[in-house]
Amino acid sequence: MSIVTVQLGQCGNQIGFEVFDVLFNDSQCSQGFCSKRENEAYQTSCKERFFREENGVPIARAVLVDMEPKVINQVLSKAAQPGRWKYSPHACFCQKQGSGNNWAYGYSVHGPKHEESIMNLIQKEVEKCDSLSGFFIIMSIAGGTGSGLGAFLTQRLQDHYSNALKMNQIIWPYGTGEVIVQNYNSILTLSHLYRSSDALLVQENDAVHKICARLMKIKQISFRDINQVLAHQLGSVFQPTYSAEGAFHYRTNPLGDLMEHLVPHPEFKMLGVRNIPQMSENSLAYSTFTWAGLLKHLRQMLISDAKMDEGIDWQVRPPLPRLPPLGKTSLNREQRFNTSLANLVILRGKDVQSANLGGFEDPALYTSWLGPANAFSVWKTPRAFNRYERSAALVSNSQAFVKPLDAVVGKAWNMFASKAYIHQYTKFGVEEEDFLDSFTLLEQVVASYCNL
Amino acid sequence: MGRRRRRMDKEASARAGAGARTLLDAIAALSRSLPAGPNPEIFRRAKFDRPEAAPALWQLLFRLLAPLQVDRATASLGPGAQARWVKAVLCYLGYPRPALAQLPEDGSHGSRELLLTFSWLLAQGPLLEWLLAQTCVQLGDQVPTVECEVLTSPGLAAIQMDAEGPVDLRRLQWLMGKLRFQWQRLICSQQEQCALLSKIHTYTHGCHSDRNLGHLSVTETEMLRDPEGIHQQLRALEQENARLEAALEWRRYEPVFWQWMDTVLGACPPEGPAAPMFRSRIPEHECGKLELATLQEELQTLQEELQALRELLCEEVLSRRQAWEAQVGGLGRGPEWSAARQTLQQNVDQELLALQQSWKQDRSPSLPQGPHRLVKIKAGSAGAKGLPVAEVIRLLRSQEASLEAVLCKLQGQCQQELARLVGTVPGLIWILPPRC
Repeated sequence: MSIVTVQLGQCGNQIGFEVFDVLFNDSQCSQGFCSKRENEAYQTSCKERFFREENGVPIARAVLVDMEPKVINQVLSKAAQPGRWKYSPHACFCQKQGSGNNWAYGYSVHGPKHEESIMNLIQKEVEKCDSLSGFFIIMSIAGGTGSGLGAFLTQRLQDHYSNALKMNQIIWPYGTGEVIVQNYNSILTLSHLYRSSDALLVQENDAVHKICARLMKIKQISFRDINQVLAHQLGSVFQPTYSAEGAFHYRTNPLGDLMEHLVPHPEFKMLGVRNIPQMSENSLAYSTFTWAGLLKHLRQMLISDAKMDEGIDWQVRPPLPRLPPLGKTSLNREQRFNTSLANLVILRGKDVQSANLGGFEDPALYTSWLGPANAFSVWKTPRAFNRYERSAALVSNSQAFVKPLDAVVGKAWNMFASKAYIHQYTKFGVEEEDFLDSFTLLEQVVASYCNL
Repeated sequence: MGRRRRRMDKEASARAGAGARTLLDAIAALSRSLPAGPNPEIFRRAKFDRPEAAPALWQLLFRLLAPLQVDRATASLGPGAQARWVKAVLCYLGYPRPALAQLPEDGSHGSRELLLTFSWLLAQGPLLEWLLAQTCVQLGDQVPTVECEVLTSPGLAAIQMDAEGPVDLRRLQWLMGKLRFQWQRLICSQQEQCALLSKIHTYTHGCHSDRNLGHLSVTETEMLRDPEGIHQQLRALEQENARLEAALEWRRYEPVFWQWMDTVLGACPPEGPAAPMFRSRIPEHECGKLELATLQEELQTLQEELQALRELLCEEVLSRRQAWEAQVGGLGRGPEWSAARQTLQQNVDQELLALQQSWKQDRSPSLPQGPHRLVKIKAGSAGAKGLPVAEVIRLLRSQEASLEAVLCKLQGQCQQELARLVGTVPGLIWILPPRC
């Protein structure tokens, strides 16, 4: 089954390119630490999902949308280098004028104006799939085109393809962003996506920046470095894994499986990704890992809500079972514990069958109303990913986003209370009422996650 | 030649009257036509209630009663569990002899009772035909026709309280969402399967030796790709052939078997009053003449009563009609009258049509039942036989509509029930969740 990727705006297009590049390079990589037959099955599965073939050249199943031509032209020319995969030249849509970081402009002006042309491009790409599992929509949440137009298009996709799954891959802005209205844009995007998307896979610029600095040891961090880490995380989730039937049977509908495991509840749709190990290519050659070690760290990253395998707080422990409700004194300490609604662990590499996942099957990690049998699942493949002999990724639906979400809602509310910049939105038809609806919805989401 | 001579011999001896040889042949044929049929000797031993025959017969009954789909899951059941399964299914089917329920489940004795059970199943209906159809080797692509029945009963199931206390609503929402995703995935994979099937049919167009079919099926394509598969198919076909031949032979000598079964029944100790029978089609020779006579008498009375009722009805209709005409006759026959008459006529016609349609639906369909080979034909091409797709789709649509109506009704009932429950808690405001 295939996934059609929709790359939106500057951020979505740059990341989308890196994602396809990682997927392609990894599937072509000879260092899979596995048999030839294994490697071939893996390649076939990856290709069917994300690429199609035209005259022997792999073409990404993607539609590129931006209101400025610059970034699209960049990624097109990068992908056009010989011996690689390519974008279809007929799957791009761009205009001359951007949205100027105004969400309302992207949503209310660009959206309706270009709806037909963009939906046609998507339709053509969908028709080239034997079967469509769903859409993968890559966008930022704080800008104008990607987020405004992205929210608009996600709604349209929901209307037109109600049986296809929609996962929005969204980039959370830096806490100290330069765009003054980024919090407005963020709450508008999030609340709209919460109504029309099936899952929001959130990646935070701040966290990835830290990974680049501390784990990858990059001195001068560029957007490209950050995007490569983001793409690596996504690849480690969506590259093929075995289905329940066992060896050589690769999962045909990973998007569907993932959603069924993680986001069936309409109020809990926010997913986070953590992966381990993550390091520069130079150190990779001199490192070895054991499954026990990797999983121990990954578990602690989860419960202490750490984004990377460094500076983890090892003091955080799951609350002891069958204790009376917590008193005020212990509340602060317990607050640091990150309760999960559901987790999916993905293991890739050598001796994967021997990995012991007991640590993730502890009921104390989960809510009282959903035990590990329902809340935890694991995917595996002996095929190594991106030259890491052993690697693990964790997709979790947990309380981790309560804090950043609450902060964004709080900042936006403060601005809204003083009516700052509202006219920029009302000018294009996004009314105060829409803001209020967004605040209500997101506060409800925060409350729901807090009360897990 | 040899076989024919043997068969003629058999016929001769059958005419001579249930010779031992013929009986043996009959049982052997029966055994060969059953899936994993037991050794004929088992039947003979069971007649004398020999304990060693019991386990094989339990197993045979289990094989006959376990649906094919659950074969894999139930194959691992131990003999005790298999026996319990058999008892439960037979009870459900209305098996009349209470002696079966009392048999030990370890298979230590009771082979004669089991033999009787088996023959009851055999006499019930086309068991053999059904089994043969189930294991039939399929070469073409199958299109399942109208297999779905309306399973739901229009009414709320009794509310079951969990012993562990109240369930968190969020858990229910979670499970509901899971169902929704599974439903979407099912649709996706069905669409994928259809797309691939269509590809195979298009690519193999003109490859089939049968011009009416035109293209290959999945199985046939698979055989082309993997010649080893042909041998396997051939073996499967040969086995099926052998079973079909055995079934034919069994049909010829069936009476001998039933005569023998009478002697088995005769060897049973007399039983207490049998449990009331449901659904059983009693073979004639098991029914006493006395009972037959009473049945006939009852039938006679019923027919007479029916006739009397009919006459009464006719009289009633006649008098009503006369009264009505007298009433109408008093009215003027102006334009209003004719307009009213027309609308009435239209209403009646519509209702009649609706009735006819629902009757047709209930009878489900004028379409032939059973499996059909899926064949891609250009629309309007001559000589297209079989199942018209449009018809099948129409039927499925109407089923979908009626299922949706049931769903709506159930949802309405649930909401009413919820509203009622909410009403009992003062100060509670009920807000429906967004998408559930």
